[in-house]
Amino acid sequence: MLSFILRRLGSGLLLLVVISALAYLLLSLPGTDVGRHVLGPAVPQQAVDAHNAALGLDRPVAVRYLDWLTSALQGDLGRSWYTSEDVSRALANRLPVTVSLMVGVTLVTAVVSFVLGVWAGVRRGAVDRAVQTVSVLGYALPGFLVTLVLVLVFAVRLGWFPAVGYTPLSQSPSGWLATVTLPILSLSVAGIAGVSQQVRSSVIEVMGRDYVRTLRSRGLPASRVVFRHVLRSAATPGLTVLGMQFVGLLGGAVIVEQIFGLPGIGAMTVQYTTRGDIPVIMGVVMVTVIGVILTNLLVDVLVGWLNPKARVS
Amino acid sequence: MQTKTRINTGVAAAGALVLMLTGCAGSSADTDASSLTIGTMTVPQSLDPAEAMGSAMPYFQAVYDTLVKREPDGGYTPMLATEWTYDESLTELTLTLREDVTFDDGTPFDAEAVRANLERFRDGGGGQAQTMALLEEVEVVDDTTVVLHLEQPNPAMVFYLSDAAGLMANPAAFDGDSLTTDPDGTGPYELDQDRTAVGTTWVYTRADGYWGEDLPYDEVSINLFDNENAIVNGVRTGQINAALLQDVDQQAVAESDEKVETQPQDIDYQGIILFDRDGHIAPELAEPEVRQAINHAVDRETMLEQLRDGQGETTSQIFGPQTDAYDPELDTYYDHDPERARELLADAGYPDGFALTLPRMSEIVSDPLATSLQSDLADVGIDLTWDNLDSGSALNSIFTEQAYPGMVMNNAQPAEDWVTTVELVLPGTFNFFGTTDETVQDLTHTIQTSPDGEAADQARELNRHLVEQGWFVPFYRMTFLHVSDGTVDVEPQSGMAVPALYNYAPAE
Repeated sequence: MLSFILRRLGSGLLLLVVISALAYLLLSLPGTDVGRHVLGPAVPQQAVDAHNAALGLDRPVAVRYLDWLTSALQGDLGRSWYTSEDVSRALANRLPVTVSLMVGVTLVTAVVSFVLGVWAGVRRGAVDRAVQTVSVLGYALPGFLVTLVLVLVFAVRLGWFPAVGYTPLSQSPSGWLATVTLPILSLSVAGIAGVSQQVRSSVIEVMGRDYVRTLRSRGLPASRVVFRHVLRSAATPGLTVLGMQFVGLLGGAVIVEQIFGLPGIGAMTVQYTTRGDIPVIMGVVMVTVIGVILTNLLVDVLVGWLNPKARVS
Repeated sequence: MQTKTRINTGVAAAGALVLMLTGCAGSSADTDASSLTIGTMTVPQSLDPAEAMGSAMPYFQAVYDTLVKREPDGGYTPMLATEWTYDESLTELTLTLREDVTFDDGTPFDAEAVRANLERFRDGGGGQAQTMALLEEVEVVDDTTVVLHLEQPNPAMVFYLSDAAGLMANPAAFDGDSLTTDPDGTGPYELDQDRTAVGTTWVYTRADGYWGEDLPYDEVSINLFDNENAIVNGVRTGQINAALLQDVDQQAVAESDEKVETQPQDIDYQGIILFDRDGHIAPELAEPEVRQAINHAVDRETMLEQLRDGQGETTSQIFGPQTDAYDPELDTYYDHDPERARELLADAGYPDGFALTLPRMSEIVSDPLATSLQSDLADVGIDLTWDNLDSGSALNSIFTEQAYPGMVMNNAQPAEDWVTTVELVLPGTFNFFGTTDETVQDLTHTIQTSPDGEAADQARELNRHLVEQGWFVPFYRMTFLHVSDGTVDVEPQSGMAVPALYNYAPAE
């Protein structure tokens, strides 16, 4: 297992370097005149040139990339071209917001969809049909619509939650909970719909297998069969989907972050990408890639632990 | 260029709101009346005054004082300078400074500090290099007296000193780039580094021993959002105390909520600046008749109604109502008259119209605006093509490569007409082809060399001349809405969209 993890981490590192080089190259292509953009139209060209030179933009892309890589390896991701904010610090400020959402959504999605999926898969009949209908609805509703309705009802009208803003966990746990509840709920809707369907069909499939029938015929209580045996085999597809959704949230939370005015990575990516702020975007890209690599690794380890057969393949 | 649509806005200082709030703030600063949270979409490049822009002034006013304070009505009152007087030639501006002011580290604020700051603005190549371009020398007479020697008179100098170019930072912090995130001024607040997340939230707490009268709030937060929808929701639920709304749909939402207090103000105008009045790229535009025809072709009333829900006022002039140059008659100078437009085009030798290409940045030119202009112009035979540009490369092709004969812009209407004259009329920033004529030269010369207010007639004459010559195609002044959650009174700033930080006070 350890060598498996090490091998995966090694290929992850390689992936990180390749993606960083590609991203840097692609971001440098559009040829935005950063100095002009920062200083505005009123400033004479020589000042713009000086500004660009100060940012090192007068040098070839390859040199700039190597510079960036060297500093990045030493932990210095540079400063935003537009707001002068330190990129590492900006990421450190915003990552907790997005991670709060990602972890919250994943937990809520996991718990609710496993409960629903198992319930529907084991009971079948009316329960199953009800869960299926709700799932389809949850999947079909556009995410931003769900979010807007949640804000209007629970924040603006009822006043139970704040409509915008984020309170760090370290500052006030209750404040943190209040600010992330609605965003987590709205992001969980589609996830629950998808994952609960996965779990349901695997549960049904596993329930039909011979060894389950044997176990049941021996008179083992149904709950024990389901939780000890069925769930273990049925969890794999659900976990995989959950892992993919977790990764997707890194970028997928953009709209929710915008509606709730949450200072997360998603909102940041949009703001800075439109301006071509390479140091910041590179920081976001790195964080995202690392997140993806670690999540996939975690899911694989988890699946392997639950289901020894997967380890062999 | 920070707010989605504004390219240049000045901002200013204003009225002294004296409300001494006794009592200790402590750490429990949740939503008590002694803290103010402002929602905004404007982001400062940094907190170094050398990079300040007018529309981001509140971020700076918290930590820096300006030499001159600008009141909400546009008038000037003492701040770090207690007096300012011009000599007869209007090229020597003598400032008398306050004596009892120090920076955080104990460095005294004095004439030497003023010299260091102004020279840094002039030579630094940042946003204010242009406003200080005429500054020849800053002469330090003694600790509290400084004389600004100008190459030529600059009627907007005091305006600039009450704006970004008046922000005084500690010269001891000029080395390195510490001012970008660690501002060092003499202002009423200090930046709370621990609770500030640049790009998201800036938190300011009271500065110890501020020399002036305390502002009413113990703590001020400026929260940055990237859309007005979130801002409106925040105001409705009290997480944001005050904000400015530009989008008409969001304005309507705010107005429909009785908890939200609203206050309209007409500030920026939207319209086409025709750069190419000498016909370098679009020869047709060299004819005044063609420019007039474009003005007559535009259906301003319908545009205002359709695009901004009627929130604003149609106009044909670029100067704002607070200026000497403003003439109410010129708001209706060009009526919508396609017939007349076709005649004018025929007179100019283009009976079949012509083709015109303008740049389009979707942040400024919305789909409805693009379509509306296209169909208005097509109606008189002008075939308008939009070149879609992303905001990253747009400034480059428009201002550096000078590839377009004009552009649609939202412009501020500052209370000082010389600011508008410098930016839009004199050869330079937005007149980069350098168009001029004898009338413009004579009038601007008189306005520049006359003591304050004595050239009001000439300013109006200049305005009329520009309108008659069709230098610009303004559509309308837009109504922006100041909104608050009911706990804050906001006094709008004359000629500015963003109110000065001094204009906020707890609601009575």
